[in-house]
Amino acid sequence: MSTVTVLMPHESIEIEGQCVDDLVLVDRSVLPQVLDWELKPQGLCRDDECVPVRDRELLLHGDSVDLCAAAAAVGVDSMLAEDTDLVALSVPSETRIGALKGRRAPDFVLPDLNGQDHSLEQFAGRKRLLVAFASW
Amino acid sequence: MVIGVALDETADDVRPLVEGISFPVLLDRDHLLAELYAVSNVPTVVWIDENGSIARPNSAEVGTDMFFDYTGVRPDEHLNQVRAWVQSGTLPADAATEIADLNDDEIDARLAFRIAVHLRRIGEASAADWFASAVELAPMDFTVRRAAMPLQGMDPFGDQFFEFWDEWKRAGHPYHGIPRS
Repeated sequence: MSTVTVLMPHESIEIEGQCVDDLVLVDRSVLPQVLDWELKPQGLCRDDECVPVRDRELLLHGDSVDLCAAAAAVGVDSMLAEDTDLVALSVPSETRIGALKGRRAPDFVLPDLNGQDHSLEQFAGRKRLLVAFASW
Repeated sequence: MVIGVALDETADDVRPLVEGISFPVLLDRDHLLAELYAVSNVPTVVWIDENGSIARPNSAEVGTDMFFDYTGVRPDEHLNQVRAWVQSGTLPADAATEIADLNDDEIDARLAFRIAVHLRRIGEASAADWFASAVELAPMDFTVRRAAMPLQGMDPFGDQFFEFWDEWKRAGHPYHGIPRS
């Protein structure tokens, strides 16, 4: 089987699968790694929480799952670059809305200029000014 | 404390800007903050309290007078507000502002931008098409349009930028956050 590069918000990974006609067909076993959710008889589930899948036909294609349809079911947008077997997945909408409406600062992990990872959470307990800037 | 996050491609782009700075400076090559916090321009400042709640959301604040002629923004008022918050927990009235969510095009623009930077890193010529798609989807978003300029060999302080700046002003200077001007 060929491979697909999945550009997740925090990292990019290669998984087995193929891009066909706007679908990204992958084995269902990769869903927990890529989306945090797994496909069960009752729907897509994460811990004790499940979202029903209204139209399983859209999701399941033979033994494979369309990663983009599974992502959409859990509030993750996707964009496919078929020529290069790439798919980009967005941050879950609930995370962003939790920041904008719920005022919960989403945690993240990013490297410093020497390549060492830091998280927002590691500085918890202090007032923090998060300053986004750029050279451009 | 301050946590700086640079929406830049390499650490070398950032180093000249942070000489002598002691707070953590992180590199956000894939513009994670543009998605998580709906950041649409820099500088954008978010106040986060001890418990991880956002005390004051995205705001266009500056640290110096360097761009005063363009932005009309001075650092003093914000710095005084930060001092009041740190010392006594006082928040300015605008802290309650709710920032609008990204629309579908702005989300797609961020995904197209991430595809573009990935393709550029692996030397794929189609990166250019994806930068173009991203800009078309969110033409007023600096984290997309202006950030794409140096990655395509354009000067982010050159003619194309000033053309964009004029368009953006005519459009009512849209920004996901609290403007200060």
